[in-house]
Amino acid sequence: MFHPGGVHGARHIAQSLHHVKNAIRGTCSSKLLMQQKAAAAVAVESKKGTVTPPPTGPAPTAPAAPNSVEVYIDDKMVMVEPGTTVLQAAALAGVEIPRFCYHDRLSIAGNCRMCLVEVEKSVKPVASCAMPVMKGMRVKTNSPMTRKAREGVMEFLLMNHPLDCPICDQGGECDLQDQSMMFGSDRSRFTDIKFDGKRAVEDKNIGPLIKTIMNRCIHCTRCIRFGSEVAGVDDLGTTGRGNEMQVGTYVEKLFASELSGNVIDLCPVGALTSKPYAFTYRPWELRKHESVDVMDGLGSAILVNSRGGEIIRILPRVHEGINEEWISDKTRFVYDGLKRQRLTQPMLKNSQGLLEPVDWEDALSGIAARINRVPGQEMAALVGGLCDVEALTALKDLMNRLGCETLCTEESFPMNAAGTDLRSNYLLNTKITGVEEADLVLLIGTNIRFEAPVLNARIRKAYLHNNLRIASIGERVDLRYETDFLGDSVHVLAQLADGDHKYSEILSKAKKPMIIVGSSSLQHGDGTAVLANAIVLADSLRSKMSSNGDESDWKVLNVLHRHANQVGALDLGYKAGPSAIKQMQPKVLFMMGADDGVVQRRDLAGDAFVIYQGHHGDKGAEMADAVLPGAAYTEKYATYVNTEGRAQRGNVAVTPPGMAREDWKILRALSEFVRGSSVLPYDSLDEVRKRLAEIAPHLTRYGQVEDANYFRQSKDLVWNAARPGHSGQTLPAQQRELEDFYMTNTISRASRTMAKCVTAARHQKSTRYGL
Amino acid sequence: MAGIRALGAGLKELRIHMCQKSPSSQGARDFMESFYVPLKQRNPELPILVRECSEIEPRLWARYGYGAETSVPLSNMNKESIMQKINEFASGPRMR
Repeated sequence: MFHPGGVHGARHIAQSLHHVKNAIRGTCSSKLLMQQKAAAAVAVESKKGTVTPPPTGPAPTAPAAPNSVEVYIDDKMVMVEPGTTVLQAAALAGVEIPRFCYHDRLSIAGNCRMCLVEVEKSVKPVASCAMPVMKGMRVKTNSPMTRKAREGVMEFLLMNHPLDCPICDQGGECDLQDQSMMFGSDRSRFTDIKFDGKRAVEDKNIGPLIKTIMNRCIHCTRCIRFGSEVAGVDDLGTTGRGNEMQVGTYVEKLFASELSGNVIDLCPVGALTSKPYAFTYRPWELRKHESVDVMDGLGSAILVNSRGGEIIRILPRVHEGINEEWISDKTRFVYDGLKRQRLTQPMLKNSQGLLEPVDWEDALSGIAARINRVPGQEMAALVGGLCDVEALTALKDLMNRLGCETLCTEESFPMNAAGTDLRSNYLLNTKITGVEEADLVLLIGTNIRFEAPVLNARIRKAYLHNNLRIASIGERVDLRYETDFLGDSVHVLAQLADGDHKYSEILSKAKKPMIIVGSSSLQHGDGTAVLANAIVLADSLRSKMSSNGDESDWKVLNVLHRHANQVGALDLGYKAGPSAIKQMQPKVLFMMGADDGVVQRRDLAGDAFVIYQGHHGDKGAEMADAVLPGAAYTEKYATYVNTEGRAQRGNVAVTPPGMAREDWKILRALSEFVRGSSVLPYDSLDEVRKRLAEIAPHLTRYGQVEDANYFRQSKDLVWNAARPGHSGQTLPAQQRELEDFYMTNTISRASRTMAKCVTAARHQKSTRYGL
Repeated sequence: MAGIRALGAGLKELRIHMCQKSPSSQGARDFMESFYVPLKQRNPELPILVRECSEIEPRLWARYGYGAETSVPLSNMNKESIMQKINEFASGPRMR
């Protein structure tokens, strides 16, 4: 029998388990944050350099809730809510109980038995991760009985675990290794008297990202539970029982999830490790740099590991507001793309029309000579979604000083009505954590599973635990949870905005509805109508809420951007979309990281001079007359603003390759060469950031989300003008299937690992087991 | 409403910084409630970037051609005087 993680009953099981967890977590929402902060100091489970927050519960110092019970952990009294498990109560008392199968963000399995503790008046030791506390319970976490139980469990585990730590990639960050040192016995009774070896399990091939060495598996089932609960992909399960039990996919197939890499972090032993990282370094040899991800609009917190000027791997950091502790596979494995296709030298076109490497001074003076011949009104700038705020500021200031006002982003956004004047128009206003409070989410024209995988995991979590209802408009896509499909075009949205759709009543009954407009739906002709109708609908829901006496100021309207710093560009006042450039046919086009190919040579004046600044040789550099090599996100101190409007700082992990430089510095240097009084008034990062605050002060409020308001004004402007018409065509999902997920920007297009993933996903489709 | 007019091509960008809550930004918030919509309707092409940020001094920034910028704090001003400031700024950088 193959037992998948829970195909049909997942929601059911998760809900019943949730009762246990709820007592501990508050309501898996804002309360969670507070509690985790309080508990963070208590116990730390460290794995692969990331810090997993300990089990949550009310802070020990906080005034006890009226119904809390007292528990004695090693004679130390703690007050906890009823329903808390012994393991969590112990964490509050500052005692860390060893565990393998228990994980704070997964359901409780209770099958590894490592967390056995002695409880007074109980004959047998109890599994503390699954045992709820009882009033006056006295737990002994370090008694002879507890120690003996742990040593026994450890002995059993090691009896069938290969002793290959010297060649195991988990070495140094292995829970089994650490806990056998801390809690194991000093000798084993295992002697292979019949010389028939330890348990042997065939390795599974589950794709190009995860390497499996199944001999090492201790059957904790974390990976299975992650697949069925968080990722919503029931590919992993168990076969057989007892000594014959195996974790795997039963038939050989891809672990087809965009979040699959997280099982590498979850695996407490070396059974699941990273394929690209295999046999490279030990964790203590790596330098770790906290940074921000740029693969999607969420800005997940990451830890970049480097060694000798090279990025060795990328791991998640815990950020409760954004990514919890998950990151997508693109975030985790894209780093090899930073070593390929890089622009390492400034280049200028020579007389034969070929790009030729030159030194910085020649490049800048050559560019300045061309720029100085053209009036500012005939120049334009186009920026891509990976550019940082500092570089965008320098570019805008420079172009403005030259008299150029046409600065556009590649990604479009409706500029009619309030356009980008009001930040509330283009932000994910309820924040990512809002998903956990919401009771209805309306997804418009977005395949959120691939556009923001971590956010989708959170929606799925709320779907499982909070009974969140999800409706969708736009092309039908598989989001790994059930949605109410309302239609595929903006027509349905217009009906909802007018209140004459059969779903309108359900929407208006929602206490905390969220409308999430995917920026991909704003890229084509109906984009203006999509946003306008969403604004009107959100406004009517908001006014209904306030007329019902709801004073929570719930924001309703949300825009989900796909690019790391689109919000930052809009905050600075860049025009969204390339239409202005196409209209004016500029003679000089400055492209910074613009690689989506939305502007071609034919959109420019015949003899137009194109400058490309960026880090990868892609579509942008291909059409350029001058190339300036910039730094990628791991190579510069840079600010990115995520789709919530949260400004975050990325840090330098390695130096840019070759002659490449930080982007704002290149522009600062160029400003010395161009005409007039264009020299930019900042010489250091601090001064640039001072300038950011002059343009928009929230850009230097790192880590914070500044509220944006004035929905009514935006709606009035949309409403007073004639509501934009629409063609009623299907709102296309730009990324339909898993294979579309992996390559979306210059870095991922250059990545070999991502290419392998695309191949694997395509191959999977052609097999009998499909996707 | 008095004082709301097309602001002219010399002005390239207006930026209004304000706090969401503090009393010194009250005038700026009132301005948004009463004057922003008609002002934007008269000037649909002019970016009027409203950038909210907690606990800052409210300030009006104007950018003209060739990167010339000027600014004035709006602390404790009422909405009419803010509108007046915008009109002053619209008539050129040297008019202050």
